[in-house]
Parts: sequence; structure tokens; C-alpha cells
Amino acid sequence: MTAPDRPRISLLGTSALLFEAPGAFDLPHQRRIWSLAATASKWPGIREAIPGITNLMLTFATPPRELDALIAALNDGWDAAEGLTIGGREIRLPVTYGGEIGSSLQSVADHCGLSVDDVVSIHAAPLYTVFALGSHPGYCYLGGMDRRITMPRRQTPLQRSAGGSVSIGGSQTGVSASPGPSGWHAIGHTSWTFFDPSWPTPAALAPGDTIRFEIERVIR
Amino acid sequence: MPIELTDIARLAQILEKSGVDTIEIEEPGQSLKLVVDTGPRMAASPTLAAPAADHSVIAKADVAGHFLAAHPWRDKPFVAQGQRIEAGAVVGLVKIGLLYAPIVAPAAGTVDAVIAEPGATVGYGTPIVRIRPLAGSSPIN
Amino acid sequence: MIEILSVTGPASVQDLGRFDQYRFGVGTSGAMDDVALRAGNILLGNDENSAGIEIPMLPFKLRFGRDMAFALTGADVEAEIAGRVIPPWWRSHARTGDILTVKAMPRGARSYLTFGGGIDVPMVLGSRSTQFRSEFGGWHGRPLQAGDILPCTASTATIGELGVEPAEITLVRPNATPDETVVRVVIAGEYDGFAATTQALFWSSSWKITPQSNRYGYRLQGPAVKPEVPIEKRSHGIVPGVIQIPPNGQPIIQMRDAQTSGGYPKIATVIRADLWRVGQARLGGKLRFEQTAYTDALAAEAEMSAYLDRLRTNVRLVEETRTCRSS
Repeated sequence: MTAPDRPRISLLGTSALLFEAPGAFDLPHQRRIWSLAATASKWPGIREAIPGITNLMLTFATPPRELDALIAALNDGWDAAEGLTIGGREIRLPVTYGGEIGSSLQSVADHCGLSVDDVVSIHAAPLYTVFALGSHPGYCYLGGMDRRITMPRRQTPLQRSAGGSVSIGGSQTGVSASPGPSGWHAIGHTSWTFFDPSWPTPAALAPGDTIRFEIERVIR
Repeated sequence: MPIELTDIARLAQILEKSGVDTIEIEEPGQSLKLVVDTGPRMAASPTLAAPAADHSVIAKADVAGHFLAAHPWRDKPFVAQGQRIEAGAVVGLVKIGLLYAPIVAPAAGTVDAVIAEPGATVGYGTPIVRIRPLAGSSPIN
Repeated sequence: MIEILSVTGPASVQDLGRFDQYRFGVGTSGAMDDVALRAGNILLGNDENSAGIEIPMLPFKLRFGRDMAFALTGADVEAEIAGRVIPPWWRSHARTGDILTVKAMPRGARSYLTFGGGIDVPMVLGSRSTQFRSEFGGWHGRPLQAGDILPCTASTATIGELGVEPAEITLVRPNATPDETVVRVVIAGEYDGFAATTQALFWSSSWKITPQSNRYGYRLQGPAVKPEVPIEKRSHGIVPGVIQIPPNGQPIIQMRDAQTSGGYPKIATVIRADLWRVGQARLGGKLRFEQTAYTDALAAEAEMSAYLDRLRTNVRLVEETRTCRSS
């Protein structure tokens, strides 16, 4: 998926600013994003600094009159950012691949020229790192997926995809915490709870945690 | 049982035909007095009512601003001549800055006329709508 | 308390939303027409963030369980209580047992019912807004149903009939037409990925709001607006107002219940000051986008704030005048 060759900063109306880092979609780059987020979240006028996949969204408490200072600070901050090593937890997640919820497993296999079993073992092999949370409450964007099972997002997003679905979107994978619309391809599901608003920290996982998918079952 | 306008009309006809000048009806919650205006023949009787006095009540502005006969989002004005309205009904608005203050009918009755000009500047007490009250109805505070 | 008697479509408890939970993937939720919700609360002397009911479809009926003040703002609706008609953008009072009926919505898309003191449901993650996706907040995280009985905080604010000028009148845009809502946008990161002719098409088209439009997003129909080469971005944060272009070239305006991140290319973002206009645009209606610079977008926000400030001052003055007169 496309990333710029140098940092790109763009506006999201008057509500937020988006910083996109150049370089590969990999852990060293993501660690620098975590570091930049930690720094930027303390700047005046910034409500939150939210990491995405090698990018950062800054939401404004009050939109700045002048953007130049903020843009300069982001660029300087990126140059100075050293990878932030977050000591996270390792989670083992049992997954049922295929079936009614993982209904795109065959299409991913077909698209990638692989068997269903190959897609499953390629998907379950790595130790994934939680790069970022986003999309919907508790959803984790994971880094470390094998590029062989890449499948571009849907032409038209599906209106409804199940909670707990394990999906592929482009060269990323993730697990949804609740049902809702999705442009990704569901290949399996897990029954784990990722989010509860009554917890002190409502999301179960945070950037820096790692996930190992365990193949519980494959429904062909 | 509430006295209807049609009842009153009938009673008035009966009065005129019968040669009786006055009728008064009192019931819990309502009272009605009908007096026949027989012109000069009444002149000698001071206890009888004068020629039909104007019993109208006036809905007045209670703030200063501009009179709006209709809400800006509506084509229809709040009231039209001949319309039956309840006591407390909104008969128009006074616009003051961003506020639309209601002008309310002090009594139930029939709208006789909207006497203020839409858009006109009005003040506290400016008459806006003339209402012919239902006989027996009293103005609300 | 208030008892819902009849509801059509997804009416829900909303306040202004939750704005500091993006890092957990929690979007804002909140009123699609935040200006109308604020105005209703201002009329009632409430905290502007007090929770009310967003009503997107009619008919809607409720019964008041005690005497209380209420206000009806937002879309132009036909509403009555205890035999009297309620004008638009109006504050009135209800007696115990009174039934409020909201019958029809000739213009606009969402009506806001606010109550003296506000709806008394717990704050979850800093807000009383309903989070539909994860089913929390508001009234048990779900749309309202007939039979629901909602608690309201008691309020001692003055109850007297009063109206205010609708935002649509005070904040009228010079290019407004009855058939089309013009919405100001700031171009977004992938705007340059579209050819000049495609960009022109984006600006000149009258986009139709399809029936698949809702609090998650407004799906628009019109000419295909596709980038010169397909663009698929790494997942990044988005906010309400972001206009994404999926591969089929039909724009989607992300709204209050949208995902907090996405990877489709973004052509522009609706400015914060015009989000309420989108929220009041009806299914089947038309939208046109007007390119706006960041500084002009800030000016628009200032204008919106000024309207609310004036409402606040005006309403307060009325209370003071009435207090003086009666004392």
C-alpha cells in the first residue's frame, strides 16, 4: 500500500492533521510513530495523537490559527524520533478459520493462487505486533502479515461484517471487536473480548502488544 | 354540558321572536347572558344592557421588537380572521434579536382581526390581534 | 421521566459526543446536528452537552411522567402537545401525563428533543451518546423502543414559551437553494491523485444522497470520481466529515458513527461548521461541495459559535426581564 517517499502532512478539515511517514510498513518505522505520538500528545491544543499504520493523526482541542508551527514541529519530531520500544503482552488467540464468518477465505486463496490450508498456515505463522488501534472500539491493526496473502480492500464496503472476525485488507490483517461495515475480507473468527467500556482502560490490547493466532479449526 | 355557539344562536332567535329582552343562564363553570338589542325601544330601560358593547379582547405584545404574523418557516400565519382559538394560543411572534417571543390570546374566542402590520415595530402593550371572546369566557392572567 | 410511546426508525439518546477516545478506536457518536442540540439546551438553560433524543424519522410519540420543560429544534416538524401546536425551534412545558406527538418532517432530516435538566443516563467514556457499534452509552447502547422509560434530571429553570431563530435562517449561505445543500470542504491528502477533469466533476456535481446513508456515513451517487491510478492507503485516522472515495468512485461522507480509521483515498473533508448541514440533508436530497481554505473554515466555525453565543445571551436576558417584571 502506498506511503509517501517523504513525510506528508495533510488536513482533515479543521478537526485534525494527518502525518504520514515514509518508508516500509514495518516495526522500526512504527516504533518511531509511537515515539512521535508520545511527544505530540503533550503539545498545546492537541487533544489526542493517534497512531495509524506508519502514520499519526492529531485531533485538535482547538484548531490552530496558523499551521506552520505545528507542521514544523511534526517534521522535526519525526527526524528526532527514535523507536519507542513498548514492552507489551503476548496474547494467544484461538481462531476458527473459514465457515460462515470467515466467508472470504476461499476468495483470498483464489486471489493469491494458494490453497485454503496454505492461507491459514501463512496467516497463523507470524507473531504479530499491535501497531495501532482504530476503526471501531478495540479493533487492532496488526503488523507482520506475510505479503503472499495480500488482498486489496473491497470495491464497495460490505454493510455488515461480524464481531470477532479475523480479516485481511490489503497487506494488513486485523480482528474486529464488534459487527459493522467493513471493506476487508473475513477469513475466520475468534470469540475473545477486545473491548469493554467498563474496564479502566476500555481496550484489551494496546500498541506494542503481540498476538499469536492459534488454529483452532479450519472449516472448508 | 358546554354551551355551543349554535345553542346561543338558537337562543337568540327564540329571544327575538318571544319578545323577551334578556336571558341569563348560569351553570357550574359557565354563564351566559343574552340581551336583545331592540334599538330605541330599549332606551327607557336602564337595567338592560346598552347597544351591544364591544366585548373584544386584545392580544398584546409584552416585549418590544418586530411583529411576525407567521413563523418564518411557515406560509400560514398563526391565526386568520374567523379562526376559533383557545386561551393561551400563540397568535403571533415578537422577534427581538434571535428570540421569537410568543403573543398569546388572553381569552378563548374567535379572531376578529390581526390589527398589527406584519414586520412592524411593536412595544410592550401594542395591540396585535383583536379577539371576540366566547361569551362567558374570562381573560386569563 | 418520559415514556416512549411510539417510535419509527433509529431514534437515540445523544449529547455532543466523545472526542478523546480515538486511541481506543472509539468514534465521537453524538448529535448529527450539534447546533440544534445546543440550541435546545440553551433554550432550557441546560448545560449545552445535556443529552436529548435525536429523532430521524416520524411519527414519534412520548408521554411526560412529570411536569417539565422541553424544547424541539432541528428539522422543521409538525408537533403538538395537549392540543396545542408547537412552533419550530421552540421551548414549551409539559404537564404530567401530556403526550407529545411529532407527526411529520416537511424539511430537514433530524429533530432534537431536549428536556429541562437533560436525560439522566450514565456517562460512558465521558459522554451520554449512544455508541451503536459496540452497544454502549445512551439508552443501553441501542435505539429507543416503545415502552422505554427514560429518567430526566430535575431542573429549576424557568418554564415559559419561547422560540429562537433557527440556525438555517441566521447562518443561511448565499448560494442556498431549496433543492440542494451546499457544504464547504477542505481538500484532503489524496486530492492531487485525481485528474483535473475529475476534480472539476467532484465540485460541479449535484450528489444524490442514497437510501444507504445514515449515522455511519452518507453514501452519495453521481458520476464516478476515481483517482488517476488506484490508491489504497495504509490505515490512518479519520474524523466525521472525511469524504472517502472507494474503488467504485462513489463518495462516502464519514459521519458521527463512522469508523475511526480507513484506507480509502480521501478527496476532501466537510468543515466542522457545516457538519450539521449534512446531518439535516434528507435521503434522496442533493449535496454540492464548495472548496474552502482552512482559514475560511475557521471563520465559519467562529460564525457558528457567534450564533450560539448570541442565543445564550438573548435567552438569558429574557429570563432576567421576566424575573424583574414578576418581582
